[in-house]
Amino acid sequence: MSEARAVVIPRPAPLPWWKRFFLVEMLQGMSVTMKHYLRGWREPFTVQYPEERLPLDPRFRGYPRLRMHPETGDELCNVCRQCEKICPTLCIAIEEEPHPSGKGRRPRQFTVDYERCCQCGLCAEACGSDPISAIYMSHDYELADYGRDRFRAQKDRLYLGFPAPPAGKGKAPGK
Amino acid sequence: MYQTSELEINMGPQHPATHGVLRLVLRLDGETIVEVKPVIGYLHRGVEKLSENRGYRSVTPLTDRLDYCAAFAENHSYVGAVEKLLGVEVPPRAQAMRVVLAELQRIASHLIWLATHGLDIGAMTIFLYAFREREKCLDLFEGYCGARLTYNALRIGGVPQEFPDGWTEALRRFLDELPTRIAQYETLLTGNRIWRLRTEGVGVIDARTALGLGLTGPTLRGSGVDYDVRKYAPYENYRDYAFDIPVGSKGDTYDRYLIRMEEMRQSRRIILQALEALPDGPILAKVAGRIRPPKGAEAYFMTESPRGEMSVYLVSDGTDKPYRVRFRSPCFNNLQGLPTLSKGHMVADVVALIGSIDIVLGCVDR
Amino acid sequence: MYPVLQYFVVPFIHGVVLTLVLLLCVAYLTFMERKVIAFMQVRIGPNRVGPRGLLQPIADVVKLLIKEDLTPDAANRVIFYIAPVIATLSTIAAFAVIPYGGPEATVSIFGFPIRPYLADVNVGILYVISISSIGVFGIVLGGWASNSKYPLLGGLRSAAQMISYEVPFGLAIIGVLMVTGTASLVEIVQWQQQHTWLFWLQPFAVVLFFIAGVAENNRAPFDLPEAESELVAGFHTEYSGFKFAFFFLAEYIAMIVVSALVVTLFFGGWLPVTFGLGHLFPKLPALLSGAWGGPWVMLLFGMGWVFIKVFFMLYLYLWIRATFPRYRYDQLMNIGWKFMIPASLAWIVLTGAGILAVQAIRS
Repeated sequence: MSEARAVVIPRPAPLPWWKRFFLVEMLQGMSVTMKHYLRGWREPFTVQYPEERLPLDPRFRGYPRLRMHPETGDELCNVCRQCEKICPTLCIAIEEEPHPSGKGRRPRQFTVDYERCCQCGLCAEACGSDPISAIYMSHDYELADYGRDRFRAQKDRLYLGFPAPPAGKGKAPGK
Repeated sequence: MYQTSELEINMGPQHPATHGVLRLVLRLDGETIVEVKPVIGYLHRGVEKLSENRGYRSVTPLTDRLDYCAAFAENHSYVGAVEKLLGVEVPPRAQAMRVVLAELQRIASHLIWLATHGLDIGAMTIFLYAFREREKCLDLFEGYCGARLTYNALRIGGVPQEFPDGWTEALRRFLDELPTRIAQYETLLTGNRIWRLRTEGVGVIDARTALGLGLTGPTLRGSGVDYDVRKYAPYENYRDYAFDIPVGSKGDTYDRYLIRMEEMRQSRRIILQALEALPDGPILAKVAGRIRPPKGAEAYFMTESPRGEMSVYLVSDGTDKPYRVRFRSPCFNNLQGLPTLSKGHMVADVVALIGSIDIVLGCVDR
Repeated sequence: MYPVLQYFVVPFIHGVVLTLVLLLCVAYLTFMERKVIAFMQVRIGPNRVGPRGLLQPIADVVKLLIKEDLTPDAANRVIFYIAPVIATLSTIAAFAVIPYGGPEATVSIFGFPIRPYLADVNVGILYVISISSIGVFGIVLGGWASNSKYPLLGGLRSAAQMISYEVPFGLAIIGVLMVTGTASLVEIVQWQQQHTWLFWLQPFAVVLFFIAGVAENNRAPFDLPEAESELVAGFHTEYSGFKFAFFFLAEYIAMIVVSALVVTLFFGGWLPVTFGLGHLFPKLPALLSGAWGGPWVMLLFGMGWVFIKVFFMLYLYLWIRATFPRYRYDQLMNIGWKFMIPASLAWIVLTGAGILAVQAIRS
């Protein structure tokens, strides 16, 4: 048994008649909104999204992407398929080919279906490449595009990030 | 001379006040409820079956999607069940960190409850005030695990990462601010005559009936039963913290409201204690890379989610995938209380009661 | 020839201009509502269309105009069409007797005298109360003709609500009539000009009248007929496009009418606010009412004061809406019948006693 103890919550007593008559508690409530009004005039809590963006935390999990070896510029992925196995939505598919150096393998094609990806970050944790993980959670979170096929991100997109969607008709949001 | 006939109306699945895709079939006599029949299943995704085809580690992100307002609590139940299945001891530091996050989740979840409950009864400003504070909770979760809603914040055997630099200070700042915010909500609602008229004596349920219906969480504690998993089956290191379990005296909507408000304060108290005594040490116990519990092993693990007793039952068949995963969701059971609670009340009270039992449809339908 | 112009054409044009101004006011009242409530909720509100969102109401009107206008198959088409018109016309008509300047601010355009009110009926208050209660027909018929369950419930609620709050709404004014001895809105303001704002004599009646007015307008915390968390959108659930806009208009014009009535009856209508300094500086009221510059200036100043006062009343509406939860149907009835009506009757008795006492002292 823990140190928690049960406490019966006291219910506030009914209001005395003079408080009821002069609407005391109503006016108190209205003073709260008025205080917010006087401040909210200048300090809204909301953010004007397309123009203003909140800073992302370093650990933010956006859509997964691939990266090269930071020094040699080689592909880090060694097709251990750990990400493919752990992915809860089965959105990763890897085709492999032997590495040209004759040692190990490398992905011929690496596909992440961004439509299915749930950004859980398990793939980045499971990644078995050396010295850093090949697949990582980027800070991309906007995915609007003009076709479903464009969400099946393949190696070009996984390495270079998301190109801006082709210019459509009409203005971009927010002028 | 006059004959009245009963009116049957459909509330939902698309309705502003049913918190998702709940459908209620109401039989009305004028404005008075004769019968309420909840029809569920509009958000059924088959999570239990899906889980049977995933490795033990891959199920955690699926549990995020059950109760999406309190994803951490679902993660916690599932991960705890796997740990119990494997007999893994979670390191003390990870336990304390889990408590911090679980209680932060409780605050965030109660804030969203307050927001929607207030909005249902017509107080719309409280909605945005509560969301403002919830936003800060979500920022903290984002800083910790990188996601704002579907956290996937736990791993089997502990927690995946340490609190980042400056995180505990940010959490303390939030907790310092919280009591004044709660006081503001209380000024807006607790004493307000309209709020009291709308909640007092509405949906009274006595302890016996509530227990019989399998209600848990604040919905049960409103009727005066001090059942709280944190007290009666302490998990993690909850037994080290001193905190109160608020219980109600009348079992009406107002009691349930007061209890949840008090629980936010108690959660704050627990977090402060946990931060004070955060032990050093590892945060992840050693677990085999490939999780294969022995054949026939089973585990039942329960946690106190913000909505009540959330438990997970696991059966292993010796492979690396669970044989059966069963989620006992508090929302599903609490929803069973709705017809009893709303009998004889008016249409407007049904809305207040849906808010009062605090359901999330993802959790009801699974 | 001339009488036709003076008694038919000119008032007609006057009325049209008044209606157009009223519509513009409604458009910007919705904007004000969204902005004020947004600021109270620490957010910004509409800010995309035009500078600081000022063109938002225009965009809303255009949207409502070009939207598809749906009529449910099973609806009673004729009544479905007429209902919003009844609701809107009755509220606009109520505005005819509300003065926005004194008779001395009568200006002449092309030789025709234009008074700062459409009509000075000697039963002005009764006219307003009776014509605004026609509005309930629009709502009930709209709810019923939609042939749908939510609108029906909303319509029933609103019928009960508006009929029961009509009573205290009317009773609260009786004190004013007893004190001033007239039912013409212009004369009531003139009485206040000579004596003092009726607010100081009838403080309780103001509160009763305003609460009853809020309830009669179906505004929060009495917005049960359209309680969105219960009845989706209440009586206008099935309405869309411009028919919906008419209901919307009716609600907001009714808000303005009630605010203008409160201002006229209790807060001195077009009279300037002197903060009680009128006795210390006898020239102040004349200065602030524009009496120094002829009828045009007086008209402008009178309109300005009415506008400012009405603005504050409307602000109060929005402030209340942002703060309070909603009553339940039966509680609303309880308040209406068990508190408001007895209280307003008691106030009438008290006012009568006060008048007798004053007369006894004077004689």
